Amino acid sequence: MVEAPHTVKSYEEELKNLNNNIIKMGGFCEEALGKAIQAITTRNSDNAEAVIKDDEKIDKFETLIEQQVVNLIALRQPMAIDLRETVTALKISSDLERIGDLAKNISKRTLLLNENLPKNLTEALVRVSSNVQKQLKSILDSYLDRSSAMAVNVWESDEHIDDLTNLCMQEVIKYLKEDEKNLDDGTHLLFVTKNIERIGDHTTNVAEQVYYLVTGEYLEGDRPKGTEPIVSGEK
Amino acid sequence: MNKNKEKLLNSRYRAEKRFQFYGKSAIFLALLFLTIFIFKIFSTGYTAFQKTWLVIPVTFDAETLYLDENPSIEDIEDADYFDIALKSMFDLDKNASEKEQNDLKKMVSYFFEREIKKELLNDPSLIGKTKDVYLTASDDLDQVFKGNYPRDLPENQRRVTDFQLKIFDQLVEQGRVESKFNLSFFTYPDSREAELAGIASSFMGSIFSILVCLVIAFPVAVLAAIYLEEFAPKNKFTDFIEVNINNLAAVPSIVFGLLGLGILLAVFQLPRSTPLVGGITLSLMTLPTIIIACRASLKAVPPSIREAALAMGASRMQTTMHHTVPLSMPGTLSGTIIGLAQALGETAPLILIGMVAFVNTIPGSPLDPAASLPVQIYIWAESAERGFVEKVSACIMVLLGFLILMNLFAQIIRHKFEKKWS
Amino acid sequence: MIKINSKNVDVFYGKKQALFNINLDIEENQVTALIGPSGCGKSTFLRCLNRMNDVIDICKVQGQIIINNFDINDKSCDVVRLREKIGMVFQKPNPFPKTIYENVSYGPTIHGMAQSKSEMDEIVETSLKKAALWEEIKDRLHEPGTGLSGGQQQRLCIARAISVKPEVILMDEPCSALDPIATAQIEELIDELKKDHTIIIVTHSMAQAARVSQNTGFFHLGELIEHGSTDKIFKNPENKRTQDYITGRFG
Repeated sequence: MVEAPHTVKSYEEELKNLNNNIIKMGGFCEEALGKAIQAITTRNSDNAEAVIKDDEKIDKFETLIEQQVVNLIALRQPMAIDLRETVTALKISSDLERIGDLAKNISKRTLLLNENLPKNLTEALVRVSSNVQKQLKSILDSYLDRSSAMAVNVWESDEHIDDLTNLCMQEVIKYLKEDEKNLDDGTHLLFVTKNIERIGDHTTNVAEQVYYLVTGEYLEGDRPKGTEPIVSGEK
Repeated sequence: MNKNKEKLLNSRYRAEKRFQFYGKSAIFLALLFLTIFIFKIFSTGYTAFQKTWLVIPVTFDAETLYLDENPSIEDIEDADYFDIALKSMFDLDKNASEKEQNDLKKMVSYFFEREIKKELLNDPSLIGKTKDVYLTASDDLDQVFKGNYPRDLPENQRRVTDFQLKIFDQLVEQGRVESKFNLSFFTYPDSREAELAGIASSFMGSIFSILVCLVIAFPVAVLAAIYLEEFAPKNKFTDFIEVNINNLAAVPSIVFGLLGLGILLAVFQLPRSTPLVGGITLSLMTLPTIIIACRASLKAVPPSIREAALAMGASRMQTTMHHTVPLSMPGTLSGTIIGLAQALGETAPLILIGMVAFVNTIPGSPLDPAASLPVQIYIWAESAERGFVEKVSACIMVLLGFLILMNLFAQIIRHKFEKKWS
Repeated sequence: MIKINSKNVDVFYGKKQALFNINLDIEENQVTALIGPSGCGKSTFLRCLNRMNDVIDICKVQGQIIINNFDINDKSCDVVRLREKIGMVFQKPNPFPKTIYENVSYGPTIHGMAQSKSEMDEIVETSLKKAALWEEIKDRLHEPGTGLSGGQQQRLCIARAISVKPEVILMDEPCSALDPIATAQIEELIDELKKDHTIIIVTHSMAQAARVSQNTGFFHLGELIEHGSTDKIFKNPENKRTQDYITGRFG
């Protein structure tokens, strides 16, 4: 649904600007996540360092977006869809900033790893992270296109992510139990897996915001959840 | 481009200065004419407010009066004062011939008997004594004393004889000629004798006419205006009425006089020359003026007041009577007073209905015959005697004074109401 | 509970139709805001509710407006009685050029609501208190009403309107001639008054409509485009035209 432009052009500009900032911020998050996963699976420390350094850019965006939102509310008194745009921008930027932080955390831990990872672990990681990357891309596209259908898709797929995360967790716990030497790396990998799951959760949050933005209503019910996380490692 | 702008701007300034000059000149001219007019009237008329008195010693001889030593008031009233009056005049020149005696008699007004009687009534103890009594000088001598009379004309072209002048000069030398404020101008009715003529009858005639006019015109006009403005539907018929009212305001006043003559006098047989008929005629003339003023006033009341009243649940009648009409009163009243002031100055219609007759009694009611102030001016202006010249101007001054007072009154009322309502 | 029920209301000014088939229900003891661009008919509709359109000769109102089970457009309706039950406050404060006391006592006087002077005094005092004006003017009741400030004058007009204990109060842009402080005072007053009166307010200010009302109706070109709870209209309106107007995308 293409909206007619606001009569006051500067107001129109400000809303567009806000929108663009979210999209740019999302782009940086995508990049950060991609590099972080690539770093840990191919042991590329250059990429890991790049992610850590570039997180600053993502943080700056969050501050900028927050300021823009406060200005819009104070000076423009947005109503209806403009109000929803403004409020959801605030929440989405917060989720995106967390995603950036989590990617940075993954990269930090990547730099601390000693050994090369066994093949099964790498595959499990790749499987879960590539899905999460797909989610992130998908939700950013749905924000750009203002598509509630795509948002619902992402929201529903969180269940699948949870399942994949559990599988990955199991592999890591198996790795931990294999050898005492694996304790350091294994612990890091636990956190990395958890971080990837958190990124998935934040992506789902963004999906809820996009749905509210487009339809003005809230996604009903609890999010679909995967099976209970396995603690003991037994299935 | 800039130079062009400069030129245009300068020509605009010049045009404005020219316009201001024209305006000021117009006002100056108007004021000049006004000043000349007022000056002329004043200079001619102010002498009418002075009356010349001859102070003549009068002997109240009991025998001539057929009164005893201690007469009662009734006796004094009934006595005949002609003889002692004449004697006191003849005594001014004991050697006067018969013709000269006649001249002496003509030196005072024919009221001299009354004036002497009044003196005795005031002080009955004057019986048998001689006292200086103030007697009204004749109009000719009055004019001579005021310097309005050419003394150097040959005798047969004057009304004052040489002998009279001689005696008069004697009296002046003796200090027996005094000028006092002419109260009788205001209290005496019209008279054939200029020295005794006053505006009392015409003044009362005017007042009665205006009162009758007010009593008829004001309620009729105000109610008509209220109806036309607030209640009547707006259609061709009411437009027609409005056009006609405006036309009526422009009709020459003499036409109303003819109307009065033809209908009020001929058909209704109302008494001629009375302020009643004059008042009715004037009210017909004043109606359109008041209606127009009242309508304009009603129109000027802001519609927000009407809306506020209607929204409170007031009926149209209540809205009009409680709110619109009181607010329009200043304009209506000042319009009424201006209309009345105009009516006051009308001459032609009143002449036609007969208020031009010589009336020498002061009217006691609107049904007594009377003249009005402007008609009085007309009558006196037609008169040959020099004594009436100053009286015409004086009467104009009284009329103008009356008009100014009425207009001032209108302003005060308007101001007071506007303060109250704002 | 529905206080006013308008059914198929059409309004014509001569040949020109100003309102098309308006069906709008007004809830009792709530504030309903009527919004829309200039010339959309909201004031015209407001004036239908107390038959003030009768004052305009060429204006014709068709349809039914039902209040207390009675159609006020019916010929048998007594307009004077109607306006006792439905009061009105205008855009520009218009107190009568009389004293403050007389302004407030006028309505009760013509409707015979007080039997004695002390009763009238009480009505005047209560009305002025409810209009949040009493404290400011209680020692100058006999001064002219036109000597008050703009905000005070408007509160005086409100006191005047409520002096006859109306069931409904119609307000036609009551704050548009007032400064922000006076506006806030009037808005607070409206909030209080709605406990005992049904209030319908026409306003050009979206923000005011959002602040003050529980229900909103959006008019455009003589039609009622959308109406519903203020919440819904301002957060998530159903009609695109409504959204465009609210967000400033019109014109």
